[in-house]
Amino acid sequence: MLSRNLLSTASRAAVRSPAAAARGYATLKEVELRLKSIKNIEKITKTMKIVASTRLSKAQKAKAAAKMIDAADSQFYDVAKTSEVAAGAEKPQELAIAITSDKGLCGSIHSQLAKAVRRKMAEHPNTDIIAIGDKIKMQLLRTNPDSVKLAFNGIGKDAPTFYESSLIAAKILQEVDAQSYAKISIFFNDPVSSLSFEPAVKPIYSAETIQSSPGYNVFEIDPEGKLPADLFEYSLTSQILSAMAQGYAAEISARRNAMDNASKNAGDMINRYSILYNRTRQAVITNELVDIITGASSLD
Amino acid sequence: MLFVSAARTLSRSSLRASRVATRSYAEAAEKVLKLQFSLPHETLYAQTQVAQVNLPAQSGKMGILASHVPTIEQLAPGVVEVFEGATPSAAPKKYFISGGFATVQPDSVLSITAAEAFPLDSFSQENVRSLLQQAKAKLGDADETVAAEAAITVEVLEALESATK
Repeated sequence: MLSRNLLSTASRAAVRSPAAAARGYATLKEVELRLKSIKNIEKITKTMKIVASTRLSKAQKAKAAAKMIDAADSQFYDVAKTSEVAAGAEKPQELAIAITSDKGLCGSIHSQLAKAVRRKMAEHPNTDIIAIGDKIKMQLLRTNPDSVKLAFNGIGKDAPTFYESSLIAAKILQEVDAQSYAKISIFFNDPVSSLSFEPAVKPIYSAETIQSSPGYNVFEIDPEGKLPADLFEYSLTSQILSAMAQGYAAEISARRNAMDNASKNAGDMINRYSILYNRTRQAVITNELVDIITGASSLD
Repeated sequence: MLFVSAARTLSRSSLRASRVATRSYAEAAEKVLKLQFSLPHETLYAQTQVAQVNLPAQSGKMGILASHVPTIEQLAPGVVEVFEGATPSAAPKKYFISGGFATVQPDSVLSITAAEAFPLDSFSQENVRSLLQQAKAKLGDADETVAAEAAITVEVLEALESATK
């Protein structure tokens, strides 16, 4: 296979080289066209970088506000000492909600999250997946087609809103029997800094888990009310929202970095190709001069 | 002996009663109430020190002072009144919320999370009335989902109407 490849490349090169040698203009034209297309690519990546930069501040604001909501929730769980029911020998059914978006061109952000989910699947094969965002759906369908129960798209066009996340949460509660899972976790990209992100996991506690948490009695709660169930639904919605907001912020900054790198690479290529272009042009002129001079001197 | 103990219990209970009665801003002021009022898209108060907060809980309206017993309450559509500053002498800031949750932590931090909150004076009564009429028209809809949505809208708008009066 390799030898055949080599052969065909060699023969192709052999075919091209006499033509190139005979007429320098063809390669000059080629280099020029290539240079032009790289310049266009650079324009596109630069524009995308600027768009990402302008969206970044909005995304970070959304992330900060959503984190506050998160904090209120987790404070309650801290005081109530809510934790997962310890799993027995047999592994019960779990639910993983993986959140990224529909859009690419932002480095490895989607595949890193898919890897995190796959690690979880390897550890705990009895897990159902809900994919939020087309990218993560594609990646998980490739490896775990039977586990993906529900998928959403149309995510990540703009900073996520509470309305969006409540629609998602309502659909999840409608399609999946959330109470039947021993554990529900949300996988999302956590923007650690403006330059880096890492896949993170956070738990969602079901109504039963909330009610059976050891510190539940610290709080004065109306025993008649259906507060745990309502709290579960509300915190599912707000946790999805905050995960989406953090994922969105991580994605935007990843896209800005990816586009920054792409623009730099395009810049490097433009430099290299302009030097090549100028050298080739010089070579063509020199060749023509040599031709003219030899012609003239042969007439003497 | 019985009398004595009864009298002691009585006196203690009366003492306690008087202490309960006097538990007011003076005692509550020893600890401070911190308010964390956050919306999904905005944070209105971030651990801000306030005097008192009145909440429209589903179990009834309630006022929260410092050292309130830890609790978690589901909020009904209604007005959240925030008394800023050390004493609740100034007029409260009023926000209308459509629902949410309020948690009082053991360290006197009150966390309110709501889907939406707007200052009460930003609502127009006429709009509320016309929207309420539209929603009421949908109450008898054949589609259950539409009717249920209309019922929720009516609940919120009625609360808003009575709050803006």
